Amino acid sequence: MQKTVLVVGAGPAGLAAAAGVAGSGAQVVLVEKAAKLGGTPILSGYAKLVPSGEWARDAMGRMVKRVEDAKNVTIHKETKVTKFSGEAGNFTATLSNGTTVQCASVILATGFTHFDSINKPEWGFGSYEDVVTTTQVEQMVAAGKIACPSDGRVPERVAILLCVGSRDRQIGREWCSKICCTVSTNLAMEIKELSPTTDVFIYYMDIRTFGLYEDRFYWKSQEEFKTKFVKARIAEVTRSPDGRLLVKGEDTLVKRPIVIPMDMVVHAVGMDPNEDNPEIARVFGVGLEKHGFIDRAEHYTNTCGTTRRGIYAVGAALAPETIDDSISQGTAAALRAVADLDAVVQKSA
Amino acid sequence: MAIHEKSLIDADRLQTSDNLVLDGVDVSGHWNTMVLPRYLTNYDTDFARQIRTFGGGENVHRCWQCGSCTNSCTVYAQNTDFNPRYWIYLTNLGLKDDILKDKDIIWTCVSCNRCTNICPKDVRPEGVMKALAHWLEEEGHTPETKSSIFDNEFLGQVYETGRIEDTRVLVNFLRKTNQSLTPPWLIELGKRMSKHLPVTFLMHMGLHLVFKPRTKSWGRTGEVLREYVREQKEIARKARAMPKEAVHV
Repeated sequence: MQKTVLVVGAGPAGLAAAAGVAGSGAQVVLVEKAAKLGGTPILSGYAKLVPSGEWARDAMGRMVKRVEDAKNVTIHKETKVTKFSGEAGNFTATLSNGTTVQCASVILATGFTHFDSINKPEWGFGSYEDVVTTTQVEQMVAAGKIACPSDGRVPERVAILLCVGSRDRQIGREWCSKICCTVSTNLAMEIKELSPTTDVFIYYMDIRTFGLYEDRFYWKSQEEFKTKFVKARIAEVTRSPDGRLLVKGEDTLVKRPIVIPMDMVVHAVGMDPNEDNPEIARVFGVGLEKHGFIDRAEHYTNTCGTTRRGIYAVGAALAPETIDDSISQGTAAALRAVADLDAVVQKSA
Repeated sequence: MAIHEKSLIDADRLQTSDNLVLDGVDVSGHWNTMVLPRYLTNYDTDFARQIRTFGGGENVHRCWQCGSCTNSCTVYAQNTDFNPRYWIYLTNLGLKDDILKDKDIIWTCVSCNRCTNICPKDVRPEGVMKALAHWLEEEGHTPETKSSIFDNEFLGQVYETGRIEDTRVLVNFLRKTNQSLTPPWLIELGKRMSKHLPVTFLMHMGLHLVFKPRTKSWGRTGEVLREYVREQKEIARKARAMPKEAVHV
Protein backbone atom coordinates (compact mmCIF):
# COMPACT_ATOMS: atom_id res chain seq x y z
CA MET A 1 0.00 0.00 0.00
CA GLN A 2 1.33 3.44 -1.05
CA LYS A 3 1.43 6.32 1.42
CA THR A 4 2.03 8.98 -1.21
CA VAL A 5 -0.29 11.49 -2.92
CA LEU A 6 0.68 12.97 -6.26
CA VAL A 7 -0.32 16.62 -6.70
CA VAL A 8 -0.16 18.05 -10.21
CA GLY A 9 0.09 21.83 -10.43
CA ALA A 10 1.50 24.29 -7.89
CA GLY A 11 -0.99 27.15 -8.03
CA PRO A 12 -3.28 28.15 -5.16
CA ALA A 13 -5.29 24.89 -5.35
CA GLY A 14 -2.27 22.58 -5.74
CA LEU A 15 -0.28 24.31 -3.00
CA ALA A 16 -3.28 24.04 -0.64
CA ALA A 17 -3.70 20.35 -1.51
CA ALA A 18 0.01 19.63 -1.01
CA ALA A 19 0.05 21.44 2.32
CA GLY A 20 -3.10 19.59 3.42
CA VAL A 21 -1.74 16.15 2.62
CA ALA A 22 1.67 16.99 4.08
CA GLY A 23 -0.01 18.22 7.26
CA SER A 24 -1.55 14.79 7.76
CA GLY A 25 1.93 13.24 7.71
CA ALA A 26 1.61 11.48 4.36
CA GLN A 27 4.12 11.88 1.53
CA VAL A 28 3.47 14.38 -1.27
CA VAL A 29 5.03 14.55 -4.70
CA LEU A 30 4.29 17.96 -6.25
CA VAL A 31 4.77 18.27 -10.00
CA GLU A 32 4.78 21.69 -11.67
CA LYS A 33 5.36 22.31 -15.38
CA ALA A 34 6.64 25.88 -14.88
CA ALA A 35 10.00 26.83 -13.41
CA LYS A 36 8.35 28.69 -10.53
CA LEU A 37 5.78 27.72 -7.92
CA GLY A 38 2.69 29.85 -7.28
CA GLY A 39 0.64 29.26 -10.40
CA THR A 40 -1.12 31.86 -12.51
CA PRO A 41 -1.12 34.66 -9.89
CA ILE A 42 2.68 34.54 -9.96
CA LEU A 43 3.31 33.51 -13.57
CA SER A 44 0.93 36.20 -14.92
CA GLY A 45 2.24 38.84 -12.54
CA TYR A 46 -1.03 39.67 -10.74
CA ALA A 47 -1.01 42.72 -8.48
CA LYS A 48 -3.29 42.66 -5.43
CA LEU A 49 -5.54 39.66 -5.03
CA VAL A 50 -9.32 39.72 -4.68
CA PRO A 51 -10.75 39.87 -2.08
CA SER A 52 -7.88 40.08 0.44
CA GLY A 53 -6.11 43.01 -1.22
CA GLU A 54 -2.80 41.32 -0.48
CA TRP A 55 -0.06 41.43 -3.08
CA ALA A 56 0.02 38.18 -5.04
CA ARG A 57 3.73 37.67 -4.39
CA ASP A 58 3.18 37.91 -0.62
CA ALA A 59 0.09 35.72 -0.45
CA MET A 60 1.40 33.09 -2.88
CA GLY A 61 4.83 33.42 -1.33
CA ARG A 62 3.48 32.19 2.01
CA MET A 63 1.71 29.26 0.34
CA VAL A 64 4.89 28.31 -1.54
CA LYS A 65 7.07 28.61 1.55
CA ARG A 66 4.74 26.41 3.59
CA VAL A 67 5.04 23.65 0.99
CA GLU A 68 8.79 24.10 0.40
CA ASP A 69 9.43 23.94 4.14
CA ALA A 70 7.44 20.72 4.59
CA LYS A 71 9.86 17.78 4.91
CA ASN A 72 7.46 15.26 3.36
CA VAL A 73 6.91 17.19 0.10
CA THR A 74 9.08 16.41 -2.92
CA ILE A 75 8.88 19.12 -5.59
CA HIS A 76 9.57 18.63 -9.29
CA LYS A 77 9.63 21.89 -11.29
CA GLU A 78 9.60 22.12 -15.08
CA THR A 79 8.18 18.65 -15.06
CA LYS A 80 5.09 16.95 -16.46
CA VAL A 81 3.56 13.53 -15.89
CA THR A 82 4.08 11.60 -19.11
CA LYS A 83 2.82 8.12 -18.24
CA PHE A 84 0.29 6.98 -15.72
CA SER A 85 -1.12 3.57 -14.86
CA GLY A 86 -2.55 1.47 -12.06
CA GLU A 87 -5.64 1.85 -9.98
CA ALA A 88 -6.87 3.69 -6.90
CA GLY A 89 -4.49 2.93 -4.04
CA ASN A 90 -1.66 1.86 -6.30
CA PHE A 91 -0.87 4.17 -9.19
CA THR A 92 2.45 4.52 -11.00
CA ALA A 93 3.32 7.84 -12.61
CA THR A 94 6.34 8.50 -14.81
CA LEU A 95 7.58 12.09 -14.89
CA SER A 96 9.23 13.86 -17.83
CA ASN A 97 12.47 14.06 -15.82
CA GLY A 98 12.56 10.26 -15.67
CA THR A 99 11.40 9.85 -12.07
CA THR A 100 8.83 7.16 -11.27
CA VAL A 101 6.32 7.89 -8.56
CA GLN A 102 4.23 5.28 -6.72
CA CYS A 103 1.11 6.88 -5.27
CA ALA A 104 -2.26 5.99 -3.82
CA SER A 105 -4.18 8.93 -5.22
CA VAL A 106 -3.76 11.98 -7.41
CA ILE A 107 -4.94 15.56 -7.12
CA LEU A 108 -5.09 17.43 -10.42
CA ALA A 109 -4.72 21.15 -9.75
CA THR A 110 -3.91 22.00 -13.32
CA GLY A 111 -5.74 25.32 -13.49
CA PHE A 112 -6.84 27.25 -16.52
CA THR A 113 -5.53 29.23 -19.48
CA HIS A 114 -6.44 32.91 -19.95
CA PHE A 115 -8.66 33.47 -22.97
CA ASP A 116 -6.55 34.70 -25.86
CA SER A 117 -8.14 37.96 -27.03
CA ILE A 118 -6.75 37.42 -30.52
CA ASN A 119 -9.81 35.19 -30.94
CA LYS A 120 -12.09 38.24 -30.78
CA PRO A 121 -10.37 40.38 -33.44
CA GLU A 122 -13.26 42.86 -33.65
CA TRP A 123 -12.27 44.16 -30.21
CA GLY A 124 -8.91 45.34 -31.46
CA PHE A 125 -6.47 43.26 -29.42
CA GLY A 126 -3.39 42.63 -31.53
CA SER A 127 -4.37 45.42 -33.94
CA TYR A 128 -4.00 48.37 -31.57
CA GLU A 129 -1.33 48.62 -28.91
CA ASP A 130 -3.63 50.40 -26.48
CA VAL A 131 -6.05 47.48 -26.38
CA VAL A 132 -4.80 45.35 -23.50
CA THR A 133 -6.02 42.57 -21.22
CA THR A 134 -6.78 42.58 -17.51
CA THR A 135 -3.58 40.58 -17.05
CA GLN A 136 -1.54 43.40 -18.60
CA VAL A 137 -3.25 45.97 -16.40
CA GLU A 138 -2.49 43.77 -13.36
CA GLN A 139 1.15 43.99 -14.39
CA MET A 140 0.91 47.78 -14.79
CA VAL A 141 -0.61 48.08 -11.33
CA ALA A 142 2.13 45.84 -9.91
CA ALA A 143 4.70 48.14 -11.57
CA GLY A 144 2.92 51.19 -10.15
CA LYS A 145 2.14 53.05 -13.38
CA ILE A 146 -0.87 53.14 -15.69
CA ALA A 147 0.16 54.16 -19.19
CA CYS A 148 -0.95 53.62 -22.77
CA PRO A 149 1.48 51.13 -24.32
CA SER A 150 1.56 53.05 -27.63
CA ASP A 151 3.18 56.24 -26.35
CA GLY A 152 3.36 56.00 -22.57
CA ARG A 153 0.77 58.72 -21.92
CA VAL A 154 -1.47 58.47 -18.88
CA PRO A 155 -4.94 57.61 -20.22
CA GLU A 156 -7.70 60.15 -19.68
CA ARG A 157 -10.23 57.41 -20.21
CA VAL A 158 -10.13 53.67 -19.86
CA ALA A 159 -12.88 51.32 -21.04
CA ILE A 160 -13.02 47.86 -19.50
CA LEU A 161 -14.99 45.39 -21.61
CA LEU A 162 -16.49 42.54 -19.61
CA CYS A 163 -17.17 39.00 -20.84
CA VAL A 164 -14.26 38.81 -23.29
CA GLY A 165 -14.03 35.09 -23.94
CA SER A 166 -16.98 34.32 -21.69
CA ARG A 167 -20.71 33.96 -22.32
CA ASP A 168 -20.19 33.93 -26.06
CA ARG A 169 -21.65 31.18 -28.21
CA GLN A 170 -19.88 32.60 -31.28
CA ILE A 171 -16.56 31.37 -29.95
CA GLY A 172 -17.88 28.36 -28.06
CA ARG A 173 -17.46 29.83 -24.60
CA GLU A 174 -20.83 29.28 -22.98
CA TRP A 175 -19.67 29.77 -19.43
CA CYS A 176 -19.33 32.74 -17.09
CA SER A 177 -15.75 33.09 -15.91
CA LYS A 178 -17.07 34.03 -12.51
CA ILE A 179 -14.40 36.41 -11.25
CA CYS A 180 -13.83 38.95 -14.07
CA CYS A 181 -16.58 41.32 -12.87
CA THR A 182 -15.03 41.52 -9.43
CA VAL A 183 -11.48 41.74 -10.79
CA SER A 184 -12.53 44.49 -13.20
CA THR A 185 -14.23 46.62 -10.56
CA ASN A 186 -11.13 46.14 -8.42
CA LEU A 187 -8.84 47.14 -11.30
CA ALA A 188 -10.98 50.24 -11.90
CA MET A 189 -10.26 51.28 -8.32
CA GLU A 190 -6.55 50.52 -8.67
CA ILE A 191 -6.36 52.54 -11.89
CA LYS A 192 -8.07 55.43 -10.13
CA GLU A 193 -5.68 55.18 -7.20
CA LEU A 194 -2.67 55.40 -9.50
CA SER A 195 -4.22 58.07 -11.71
CA PRO A 196 -7.05 60.01 -10.00
CA THR A 197 -7.88 62.02 -13.12
CA THR A 198 -8.54 58.96 -15.27
CA ASP A 199 -12.18 58.14 -15.93
CA VAL A 200 -12.93 54.42 -15.99
CA PHE A 201 -15.92 53.02 -17.84
CA ILE A 202 -17.03 49.40 -17.49
CA TYR A 203 -19.08 48.08 -20.40
CA TYR A 204 -21.25 45.23 -19.16
CA MET A 205 -24.14 42.92 -19.98
CA ASP A 206 -24.65 41.96 -16.33
CA ILE A 207 -22.56 42.55 -13.24
CA ARG A 208 -21.89 39.33 -11.35
CA THR A 209 -19.99 40.32 -8.23
CA PHE A 210 -21.45 37.50 -6.19
CA GLY A 211 -21.65 37.19 -2.41
CA LEU A 212 -19.65 39.65 -0.38
CA TYR A 213 -17.92 41.01 -3.50
CA GLU A 214 -21.05 43.07 -4.15
CA ASP A 215 -20.47 46.01 -1.85
CA ARG A 216 -16.74 45.54 -1.34
CA PHE A 217 -15.98 45.76 -5.04
CA TYR A 218 -18.94 46.72 -7.25
CA TRP A 219 -20.51 49.29 -4.92
CA LYS A 220 -17.22 50.64 -3.68
CA SER A 221 -15.87 51.06 -7.18
CA GLN A 222 -19.01 52.91 -8.23
CA GLU A 223 -19.65 54.94 -5.09
CA GLU A 224 -16.18 55.84 -3.88
CA PHE A 225 -14.19 55.72 -7.09
CA LYS A 226 -16.90 56.93 -9.48
CA THR A 227 -16.46 54.11 -11.98
CA LYS A 228 -19.09 54.50 -14.69
CA PHE A 229 -21.07 51.40 -15.64
CA VAL A 230 -22.43 51.41 -19.18
CA LYS A 231 -24.85 48.73 -20.28
CA ALA A 232 -23.54 47.90 -23.71
CA ARG A 233 -21.79 44.95 -25.25
CA ILE A 234 -19.19 46.55 -27.46
CA ALA A 235 -19.43 45.49 -31.09
CA GLU A 236 -16.15 46.82 -32.36
CA VAL A 237 -13.04 48.74 -31.33
CA THR A 238 -11.45 50.90 -34.02
CA ARG A 239 -9.07 53.84 -34.15
CA SER A 240 -10.00 57.46 -34.80
CA PRO A 241 -7.79 59.71 -36.95
CA ASP A 242 -6.35 61.39 -33.82
CA GLY A 243 -4.93 58.08 -32.65
CA ARG A 244 -7.42 57.45 -29.85
CA LEU A 245 -9.51 54.32 -29.80
CA LEU A 246 -13.23 54.29 -30.57
CA VAL A 247 -15.56 51.84 -28.89
CA LYS A 248 -18.69 51.14 -30.88
CA GLY A 249 -21.79 49.43 -29.67
CA GLU A 250 -25.33 49.99 -28.53
CA ASP A 251 -26.07 51.58 -25.19
CA THR A 252 -29.14 49.51 -24.41
CA LEU A 253 -30.37 51.88 -21.69
CA VAL A 254 -30.59 54.93 -23.94
CA LYS A 255 -31.36 52.69 -26.93
CA ARG A 256 -28.83 54.49 -29.09
CA PRO A 257 -25.66 53.43 -30.91
CA ILE A 258 -22.46 54.77 -29.38
CA VAL A 259 -19.06 55.66 -30.86
CA ILE A 260 -17.02 56.89 -27.92
CA PRO A 261 -13.34 57.87 -27.85
CA MET A 262 -11.12 56.08 -25.30
CA ASP A 263 -7.39 56.09 -24.60
CA MET A 264 -7.10 52.51 -23.44
CA VAL A 265 -9.41 49.53 -23.82
CA VAL A 266 -9.05 46.62 -21.41
CA HIS A 267 -10.38 43.15 -22.17
CA ALA A 268 -11.61 41.40 -19.04
CA VAL A 269 -10.43 38.04 -20.33
CA GLY A 270 -12.17 34.92 -19.14
CA MET A 271 -10.89 31.54 -18.08
CA ASP A 272 -10.51 28.87 -20.72
CA PRO A 273 -9.97 25.24 -19.82
CA ASN A 274 -6.24 24.64 -19.49
CA GLU A 275 -4.91 24.31 -23.01
CA ASP A 276 -3.17 21.09 -21.89
CA ASN A 277 -6.46 19.48 -20.77
CA PRO A 278 -6.68 17.07 -23.75
CA GLU A 279 -3.18 15.80 -22.87
CA ILE A 280 -4.00 15.67 -19.16
CA ALA A 281 -7.21 13.74 -19.89
CA ARG A 282 -5.30 11.27 -22.07
CA VAL A 283 -2.42 10.70 -19.65
CA PHE A 284 -4.56 10.32 -16.52
CA GLY A 285 -7.56 8.68 -18.19
CA VAL A 286 -10.05 11.18 -16.83
CA GLY A 287 -13.00 12.62 -18.73
CA LEU A 288 -13.57 16.22 -19.77
CA GLU A 289 -16.97 17.88 -19.57
CA LYS A 290 -18.50 19.53 -22.62
CA HIS A 291 -16.64 22.84 -22.26
CA GLY A 292 -13.29 21.11 -21.91
CA PHE A 293 -12.82 21.38 -18.14
CA ILE A 294 -12.15 18.21 -16.15
CA ASP A 295 -15.38 16.30 -15.57
CA ARG A 296 -16.72 15.77 -12.07
CA ALA A 297 -17.87 12.58 -10.45
CA GLU A 298 -21.00 12.54 -8.33
CA HIS A 299 -20.23 15.44 -6.05
CA TYR A 300 -22.21 14.88 -2.86
CA THR A 301 -20.28 11.90 -1.53
CA ASN A 302 -17.22 12.12 -3.78
CA THR A 303 -16.15 15.73 -3.41
CA CYS A 304 -13.71 16.82 -6.11
CA GLY A 305 -13.81 13.35 -7.67
CA THR A 306 -13.13 12.91 -11.39
CA THR A 307 -14.46 10.15 -13.62
CA ARG A 308 -11.57 7.90 -12.52
CA ARG A 309 -11.46 6.52 -8.99
CA GLY A 310 -8.57 7.80 -6.94
CA ILE A 311 -8.03 10.90 -9.05
CA TYR A 312 -9.37 14.23 -7.82
CA ALA A 313 -9.48 17.63 -9.46
CA VAL A 314 -9.60 21.03 -7.78
CA GLY A 315 -9.81 24.71 -8.55
CA ALA A 316 -9.94 26.12 -12.08
CA ALA A 317 -9.21 22.66 -13.52
CA LEU A 318 -12.90 21.91 -12.88
CA ALA A 319 -14.45 25.24 -13.85
CA PRO A 320 -13.66 28.95 -13.62
CA GLU A 321 -12.86 29.43 -9.96
CA THR A 322 -11.78 32.07 -7.48
CA ILE A 323 -8.43 31.79 -5.71
CA ASP A 324 -10.13 31.46 -2.31
CA ASP A 325 -12.42 28.66 -3.44
CA SER A 326 -9.56 26.93 -5.25
CA ILE A 327 -7.69 26.85 -1.96
CA SER A 328 -10.73 25.44 -0.16
CA GLN A 329 -11.14 22.77 -2.80
CA GLY A 330 -7.45 21.90 -2.63
CA THR A 331 -7.80 21.39 1.10
CA ALA A 332 -11.01 19.37 0.68
CA ALA A 333 -9.42 17.09 -1.89
CA ALA A 334 -6.40 16.62 0.39
CA LEU A 335 -8.70 15.21 3.05
CA ARG A 336 -10.27 12.86 0.53
CA ALA A 337 -6.89 11.78 -0.87
CA VAL A 338 -5.54 11.11 2.63
CA ALA A 339 -8.61 9.02 3.43
CA ASP A 340 -7.83 6.99 0.31
CA LEU A 341 -4.56 5.98 1.90
CA ASP A 342 -6.69 3.94 4.25
CA ALA A 343 -7.69 0.61 2.68
CA VAL A 344 -11.05 0.56 4.47
CA VAL A 345 -12.15 3.71 2.76
CA GLN A 346 -10.85 2.45 -0.56
CA LYS A 347 -12.98 -0.66 -0.38
CA SER A 348 -16.18 1.13 0.52
CA ALA A 349 -15.75 4.15 -1.72
CA MET B 1 -42.64 59.79 -49.62
CA ALA B 2 -38.90 59.75 -49.47
CA ILE B 3 -38.48 58.43 -45.92
CA HIS B 4 -40.55 55.65 -44.43
CA GLU B 5 -41.73 55.85 -40.83
CA LYS B 6 -40.57 59.46 -40.72
CA SER B 7 -42.69 60.01 -37.62
CA LEU B 8 -40.27 57.82 -35.65
CA ILE B 9 -37.35 60.18 -36.30
CA ASP B 10 -36.76 63.05 -33.88
CA ALA B 11 -37.66 66.27 -35.65
CA ASP B 12 -34.30 67.85 -34.83
CA ARG B 13 -32.48 65.14 -36.76
CA LEU B 14 -34.30 65.85 -40.03
CA GLN B 15 -32.74 68.47 -42.26
CA THR B 16 -34.52 69.75 -45.32
CA SER B 17 -33.59 72.64 -47.56
CA ASP B 18 -36.53 74.44 -49.18
CA ASN B 19 -34.54 75.39 -52.25
CA LEU B 20 -31.76 73.17 -53.52
CA VAL B 21 -30.50 72.46 -57.01
CA LEU B 22 -27.85 69.76 -57.46
CA ASP B 23 -26.13 69.36 -60.84
CA GLY B 24 -28.98 71.27 -62.46
CA VAL B 25 -31.63 69.03 -60.90
CA ASP B 26 -34.16 70.71 -58.64
CA VAL B 27 -34.29 68.72 -55.41
CA SER B 28 -36.09 71.30 -53.30
CA GLY B 29 -38.16 70.23 -50.34
CA HIS B 30 -38.40 66.65 -49.13
CA TRP B 31 -36.27 65.38 -52.03
CA ASN B 32 -33.16 66.61 -50.22
CA THR B 33 -34.12 65.54 -46.68
CA MET B 34 -31.13 64.22 -44.75
CA VAL B 35 -31.34 62.33 -41.47
CA LEU B 36 -28.58 63.17 -39.00
CA PRO B 37 -27.00 60.14 -37.31
CA ARG B 38 -28.44 59.18 -33.93
CA TYR B 39 -25.35 57.68 -32.36
CA LEU B 40 -23.73 59.19 -29.29
CA THR B 41 -20.22 60.44 -29.95
CA ASN B 42 -19.00 61.45 -26.52
CA TYR B 43 -19.57 61.71 -22.79
CA ASP B 44 -19.21 64.87 -20.69
CA THR B 45 -17.19 63.23 -17.95
CA ASP B 46 -17.45 66.23 -15.62
CA PHE B 47 -21.22 66.55 -15.70
CA ALA B 48 -22.11 64.10 -12.92
CA ARG B 49 -19.64 65.88 -10.65
CA GLN B 50 -21.33 69.19 -11.38
CA ILE B 51 -24.76 67.81 -10.59
CA ARG B 52 -23.37 66.44 -7.31
CA THR B 53 -22.61 70.03 -6.26
CA PHE B 54 -26.34 70.88 -6.31
CA GLY B 55 -28.30 70.00 -3.18
CA GLY B 56 -29.95 66.60 -3.62
CA GLY B 57 -27.63 65.40 -6.38
CA GLU B 58 -24.85 64.14 -4.08
CA ASN B 59 -25.55 60.43 -4.61
CA VAL B 60 -26.39 60.40 -8.32
CA HIS B 61 -23.32 58.28 -9.22
CA ARG B 62 -24.54 55.39 -7.05
CA CYS B 63 -27.29 54.42 -9.49
CA TRP B 64 -27.25 50.94 -11.03
CA GLN B 65 -30.33 51.42 -13.16
CA CYS B 66 -32.77 49.04 -11.51
CA GLY B 67 -35.68 51.35 -12.38
CA SER B 68 -37.35 51.24 -8.95
CA CYS B 69 -37.61 55.05 -8.96
CA THR B 70 -39.44 55.27 -12.27
CA ASN B 71 -41.61 52.32 -11.35
CA SER B 72 -42.72 53.93 -8.11
CA CYS B 73 -43.02 57.46 -9.51
CA THR B 74 -46.24 59.39 -9.02
CA VAL B 75 -45.60 61.59 -12.04
CA TYR B 76 -44.58 58.66 -14.26
CA ALA B 77 -48.02 57.18 -13.62
CA GLN B 78 -49.46 60.28 -15.29
CA ASN B 79 -46.78 60.88 -17.88
CA THR B 80 -44.53 58.08 -19.05
CA ASP B 81 -42.05 60.60 -20.45
CA PHE B 82 -41.16 61.41 -16.85
CA ASN B 83 -38.38 58.88 -16.26
CA PRO B 84 -36.00 59.57 -13.34
CA ARG B 85 -34.06 56.34 -13.97
CA TYR B 86 -33.23 57.51 -17.50
CA TRP B 87 -32.19 61.02 -16.49
CA ILE B 88 -29.94 59.66 -13.75
CA TYR B 89 -28.19 57.49 -16.35
CA LEU B 90 -27.83 60.45 -18.71
CA THR B 91 -26.40 62.48 -15.84
CA ASN B 92 -23.83 59.86 -14.94
CA LEU B 93 -22.60 59.55 -18.50
CA GLY B 94 -22.83 63.30 -19.08
CA LEU B 95 -25.30 63.09 -21.98
CA LYS B 96 -26.43 66.68 -21.47
CA ASP B 97 -28.12 67.17 -24.84
CA ASP B 98 -30.55 64.39 -24.07
CA ILE B 99 -31.36 65.83 -20.65
CA LEU B 100 -32.10 69.18 -22.27
CA LYS B 101 -34.70 67.51 -24.47
CA ASP B 102 -36.72 66.90 -21.30
CA LYS B 103 -36.13 70.27 -19.64
CA ASP B 104 -39.82 71.09 -19.72
CA ILE B 105 -40.88 68.07 -17.67
CA ILE B 106 -38.01 67.38 -15.24
CA TRP B 107 -39.26 70.11 -12.89
CA THR B 108 -42.73 68.52 -12.66
CA CYS B 109 -41.49 66.19 -9.90
CA VAL B 110 -43.94 66.52 -7.01
CA SER B 111 -41.40 65.46 -4.37
CA CYS B 112 -43.55 62.66 -3.01
CA ASN B 113 -40.27 60.84 -2.28
CA ARG B 114 -41.58 57.39 -3.14
CA CYS B 115 -38.47 56.92 -5.31
CA THR B 116 -36.16 57.92 -2.48
CA ASN B 117 -37.91 55.53 -0.11
CA ILE B 118 -37.66 52.59 -2.48
CA CYS B 119 -34.16 53.15 -3.93
CA PRO B 120 -31.92 50.17 -2.98
CA LYS B 121 -28.72 52.20 -3.48
CA ASP B 122 -29.77 55.37 -1.67
CA VAL B 123 -29.42 57.49 -4.80
CA ARG B 124 -32.19 59.82 -3.58
CA PRO B 125 -33.74 60.32 -7.02
CA GLU B 126 -36.08 63.03 -5.74
CA GLY B 127 -33.02 65.07 -4.82
CA VAL B 128 -31.50 64.42 -8.22
CA MET B 129 -34.65 65.80 -9.89
CA LYS B 130 -34.26 68.91 -7.75
CA ALA B 131 -30.56 69.19 -8.58
CA LEU B 132 -31.27 68.83 -12.29
CA ALA B 133 -34.02 71.46 -12.14
CA HIS B 134 -31.64 73.83 -10.37
CA TRP B 135 -28.91 73.15 -12.89
CA LEU B 136 -31.34 73.87 -15.74
CA GLU B 137 -32.29 77.11 -14.05
CA GLU B 138 -28.75 78.18 -13.29
CA GLU B 139 -27.58 77.48 -16.83
CA GLY B 140 -30.50 79.49 -18.15
CA HIS B 141 -32.11 76.58 -19.92
CA THR B 142 -35.44 77.22 -18.25
CA PRO B 143 -36.96 80.71 -18.08
CA GLU B 144 -38.16 82.09 -14.76
CA THR B 145 -41.49 80.40 -14.18
CA LYS B 146 -44.56 81.65 -12.34
CA SER B 147 -43.74 79.08 -9.76
CA SER B 148 -40.22 80.45 -9.16
CA ILE B 149 -41.60 84.03 -9.05
CA PHE B 150 -44.00 82.89 -6.34
CA ASP B 151 -41.19 81.15 -4.44
CA ASN B 152 -39.02 84.27 -4.54
CA GLU B 153 -41.81 86.49 -3.26
CA PHE B 154 -42.57 84.00 -0.49
CA LEU B 155 -38.91 83.66 0.53
CA GLY B 156 -38.33 87.41 0.33
CA GLN B 157 -41.03 87.99 2.93
CA VAL B 158 -39.62 85.29 5.17
CA TYR B 159 -36.20 86.94 5.07
CA GLU B 160 -37.73 90.32 5.78
CA THR B 161 -40.14 89.55 8.59
CA GLY B 162 -39.69 85.91 9.57
CA ARG B 163 -43.26 85.21 8.40
CA ILE B 164 -45.49 85.63 5.40
CA GLU B 165 -48.58 87.69 4.94
CA ASP B 166 -50.98 85.81 2.61
CA THR B 167 -52.53 88.90 1.15
CA ARG B 168 -49.20 90.52 0.40
CA VAL B 169 -47.76 87.34 -1.19
CA LEU B 170 -50.82 87.06 -3.39
CA VAL B 171 -51.01 90.68 -4.46
CA ASN B 172 -47.27 90.93 -5.20
CA PHE B 173 -47.36 87.64 -7.10
CA LEU B 174 -50.27 88.82 -9.26
CA ARG B 175 -48.51 92.10 -9.91
CA LYS B 176 -45.14 90.61 -10.80
CA THR B 177 -46.77 88.18 -13.22
CA ASN B 178 -48.82 90.93 -14.84
CA GLN B 179 -52.12 89.39 -13.81
CA SER B 180 -55.33 91.13 -12.81
CA LEU B 181 -55.49 91.85 -9.08
CA THR B 182 -59.13 90.80 -9.12
CA PRO B 183 -59.29 87.43 -10.86
CA PRO B 184 -62.78 85.84 -10.78
CA TRP B 185 -61.70 83.10 -8.34
CA LEU B 186 -60.45 85.69 -5.86
CA ILE B 187 -63.69 87.66 -6.05
CA GLU B 188 -65.60 84.42 -5.46
CA LEU B 189 -63.37 83.62 -2.49
CA GLY B 190 -64.01 87.08 -1.03
CA LYS B 191 -67.76 86.75 -1.50
CA ARG B 192 -67.92 83.41 0.28
CA MET B 193 -65.72 84.57 3.15
CA SER B 194 -67.78 87.72 3.66
CA LYS B 195 -70.85 85.54 4.34
CA HIS B 196 -69.19 84.53 7.61
CA LEU B 197 -68.48 88.17 8.57
CA PRO B 198 -64.81 87.51 9.51
CA VAL B 199 -64.43 90.83 11.29
CA THR B 200 -61.37 89.97 13.37
CA PHE B 201 -59.66 88.37 10.38
CA LEU B 202 -60.24 91.42 8.20
CA MET B 203 -58.96 93.73 10.93
CA HIS B 204 -55.78 91.66 11.28
CA MET B 205 -55.33 91.59 7.55
CA GLY B 206 -55.67 95.34 7.25
CA LEU B 207 -53.33 96.03 10.17
CA HIS B 208 -50.70 93.57 8.92
CA LEU B 209 -50.74 95.10 5.46
CA VAL B 210 -49.98 98.50 6.93
CA PHE B 211 -47.59 97.63 9.77
CA LYS B 212 -45.81 94.52 8.36
CA PRO B 213 -45.35 92.77 11.73
CA ARG B 214 -42.16 90.70 12.22
CA THR B 215 -41.67 87.46 14.08
CA LYS B 216 -40.71 88.14 17.67
CA SER B 217 -36.98 88.83 18.08
CA TRP B 218 -36.42 88.25 14.33
CA GLY B 219 -33.69 90.91 14.43
CA ARG B 220 -30.97 90.29 11.86
CA THR B 221 -31.99 86.64 11.34
CA GLY B 222 -33.29 87.34 7.85
CA GLU B 223 -30.09 89.08 6.79
CA VAL B 224 -27.97 86.26 8.17
CA LEU B 225 -30.07 83.64 6.40
CA ARG B 226 -29.92 85.47 3.12
CA GLU B 227 -26.15 85.85 3.41
CA TYR B 228 -25.77 82.15 4.27
CA VAL B 229 -27.77 81.05 1.25
CA ARG B 230 -25.76 83.39 -0.97
CA GLU B 231 -22.47 82.06 0.42
CA GLN B 232 -23.51 78.44 -0.07
CA LYS B 233 -24.53 79.10 -3.65
CA GLU B 234 -21.22 80.83 -4.28
CA ILE B 235 -19.26 77.92 -2.84
CA ALA B 236 -21.23 75.46 -4.97
CA ARG B 237 -20.71 77.60 -8.06
CA LYS B 238 -16.96 77.70 -7.45
CA ALA B 239 -16.85 73.93 -6.94
CA ARG B 240 -18.64 73.43 -10.23
CA ALA B 241 -16.20 75.64 -12.09
CA MET B 242 -13.15 73.95 -10.56
CA PRO B 243 -11.06 71.87 -12.95
CA LYS B 244 -11.39 68.15 -12.41
CA GLU B 245 -7.76 67.76 -11.38
CA ALA B 246 -8.33 69.96 -8.38
CA VAL B 247 -11.14 67.90 -6.94
CA HIS B 248 -10.16 64.28 -7.71
CA VAL B 249 -13.19 62.32 -8.93
